[in-house]
Amino acid sequence: MMNSPFSRRSIAARLTWMNLLVSGIGLFLAYFSFLAYDLFVYRQASVESLSGLAKIVATNSVSAVLFDDDTSARNTLSGLSGSNDVISAAIYTTSGVPFAQYTRDGSSLPAPRKLTGSNRQQSWVYGRDVETGSRIESEGKVIGTVYIQARLHGLRKEAIQYATIAAVILLVCLAVALLAGIIFRRLLAEPIVSLAQTAREVSRSKDYALRFSAGQEYDELQLLTEAFNEMLGAIQERDGALEQAKAGLERRVEERTAQLQAANLEMEAFSYTVAHDLRSPLQAMSNVCYLFGVMDQGQSSPQKVTMLAQLTSTVATMSDMIDDLLDLSRSSTAELHLSRLNLGSMAASILDGLAKVSPERQVETIIASECAVDADSGLMHIVLQNLLRNAWKFTGRRAMARIEFGCLQRGDDTVIFVRDNGAGFDPRLADRLFKPFQRLHGASEFPGTGIGLATVRRIVGRHGGRVWADGEVDKGATFYFTLHAEPGVHVPSLDAGSEEPH
Amino acid sequence: MEHLPHTRNPRGSAGSCSRALGVLLLASASVTGWAQAAGALGPADIEAAYLYNFGKFVRFPAGAPQDTPTFAICILGEDGIGTPLDGLVANESIQGHKIVTRKLTAPAEVANCQIVYIGQSEEPRIERDLTALAGKPVLTVSSVSGFLERGGMIQFILQNKRVRFAVNLTAAERTHLELSSELLKVAVRVDAKPALEAK
Repeated sequence: MMNSPFSRRSIAARLTWMNLLVSGIGLFLAYFSFLAYDLFVYRQASVESLSGLAKIVATNSVSAVLFDDDTSARNTLSGLSGSNDVISAAIYTTSGVPFAQYTRDGSSLPAPRKLTGSNRQQSWVYGRDVETGSRIESEGKVIGTVYIQARLHGLRKEAIQYATIAAVILLVCLAVALLAGIIFRRLLAEPIVSLAQTAREVSRSKDYALRFSAGQEYDELQLLTEAFNEMLGAIQERDGALEQAKAGLERRVEERTAQLQAANLEMEAFSYTVAHDLRSPLQAMSNVCYLFGVMDQGQSSPQKVTMLAQLTSTVATMSDMIDDLLDLSRSSTAELHLSRLNLGSMAASILDGLAKVSPERQVETIIASECAVDADSGLMHIVLQNLLRNAWKFTGRRAMARIEFGCLQRGDDTVIFVRDNGAGFDPRLADRLFKPFQRLHGASEFPGTGIGLATVRRIVGRHGGRVWADGEVDKGATFYFTLHAEPGVHVPSLDAGSEEPH
Repeated sequence: MEHLPHTRNPRGSAGSCSRALGVLLLASASVTGWAQAAGALGPADIEAAYLYNFGKFVRFPAGAPQDTPTFAICILGEDGIGTPLDGLVANESIQGHKIVTRKLTAPAEVANCQIVYIGQSEEPRIERDLTALAGKPVLTVSSVSGFLERGGMIQFILQNKRVRFAVNLTAAERTHLELSSELLKVAVRVDAKPALEAK
């Protein structure tokens, strides 16, 4: 548990460590400074007392030195045995000859040092060892010197005592820090930990019905817990509301979709039925008109002939209209059967058909030789037929009509276009082009049902594509569309060589 | 530690020479034992030095020697100590008083003396001399045997070829002289009344 104390620890453990660290450092600093001070004071006191001893010995040795009584001097020195620190002492004459000496346990004698200057007394300190010299004087004259050597055993004892006390205090601090850690863990860390665990559980399980539980002791924790619980409550409430709203919405969408589908189906069926059922009487009318014309050859008045022609044309228009309506109906209901198509050849055959119907017209056609797409063949035929027929129709007043069919690559999209130099349209009204029964030109000017482009848009839309138009009045029009029914379209490049006049 | 051999030769006329001896004796008092053993210094030299040193450990009763500007060491009778003593004490002082030496021919001349040394020549008259000196605040010193028993205060004794001394404390106290315990400490013998707890 000792490695890397601050990396991944609980708050309580970190706090305990910090407690220990701070008290330990403080204690060590205090210990060392007190010890240093105490040892310093102790040593100074020892040196002073040793100096005192040396002085007393010096005073008491005067007569012994003067009367050459080394026995007396030894007696005086042996009095030093009362001090445990003193290990040896000696009296030296002025010429440096030992006169009397004392040693404890055979320690070596203090060396006769030189007292500097006029000092009567001097001390030398070497770690635990202290040596003091004191001059022996008589009538102002130096007659010898006393040296006392001492080892301050107390220094070590003192240090050991201090260390023991410090160790005891450190142990007490450790115990207090651990106790504080335990208390802190119970009072603060555990609620926080449980808070964190609950928060993680909530975020994992997304179960916002969970609630935190905390004691009553601490206001901040209580506040935090309550705030969390309130937040969870709010989230839960919102979740519920959202769920409800979603369910309601889905139900409503389903209802509406069902209604719409039903209505659509009904309408489609109705319009199909109407269109289909109208065809037979119309066919009958057309047949009658034809028979009229055949039977009444050259006998009827010109007025009658005109009226018959009008009737025939009206029936034809109506037939066209019904065809278009059927196309429109089919375009929205028929299933898509995608296959590889060459729109170029399809366009060419449609234009051929148009040319056969109106052999008198001079129309220059430019058709891209190849324009392959994946699309529903029948529906694509309706699209091209509508667009090309429009082009054919609106170039009706051009002496040099020109219709161009091609495709070009724009980014990932293949854009198929039909361009003519016909009547064009007012670009401000372009958005009305593709709405059913909206016509930009009068029926007298250019006949039409107003359904064709709406059908085109629906079919292109069902293929995931888009249709739009460029144009200006009397300057022709270009209709573009894209198909997104994958896979992509093989398109020749746009250079003129690939487009051949038709 | 070259001690020139000293004898009781008449001292040199040069003051510096006598002084050199004094300093030598004083400063190397502790060496005297060694010197004696080596036979460098004779007992007279040692005794002269001790005589001078005694003065440092004696407290005289009021009146003497404070009244006199000098500290007189007097020699009664004839003895070899005179010459080395003269050399020793020249320009020395005790308790702030300059030391002088005097020759006495009779105990009556003892006035203003602090220490009286009674020479060997006085041995026959020793008791008369001591009687004459009795009651005077004077430290009496001699090498004459039986000196203490006859009322003298300090007697030199040759012990193991070393000069030592013995003290008759009773005699000293009779004249109100106070001998320092330091001095008694180094004495080989102290005769005292039982009540007096000298060393």
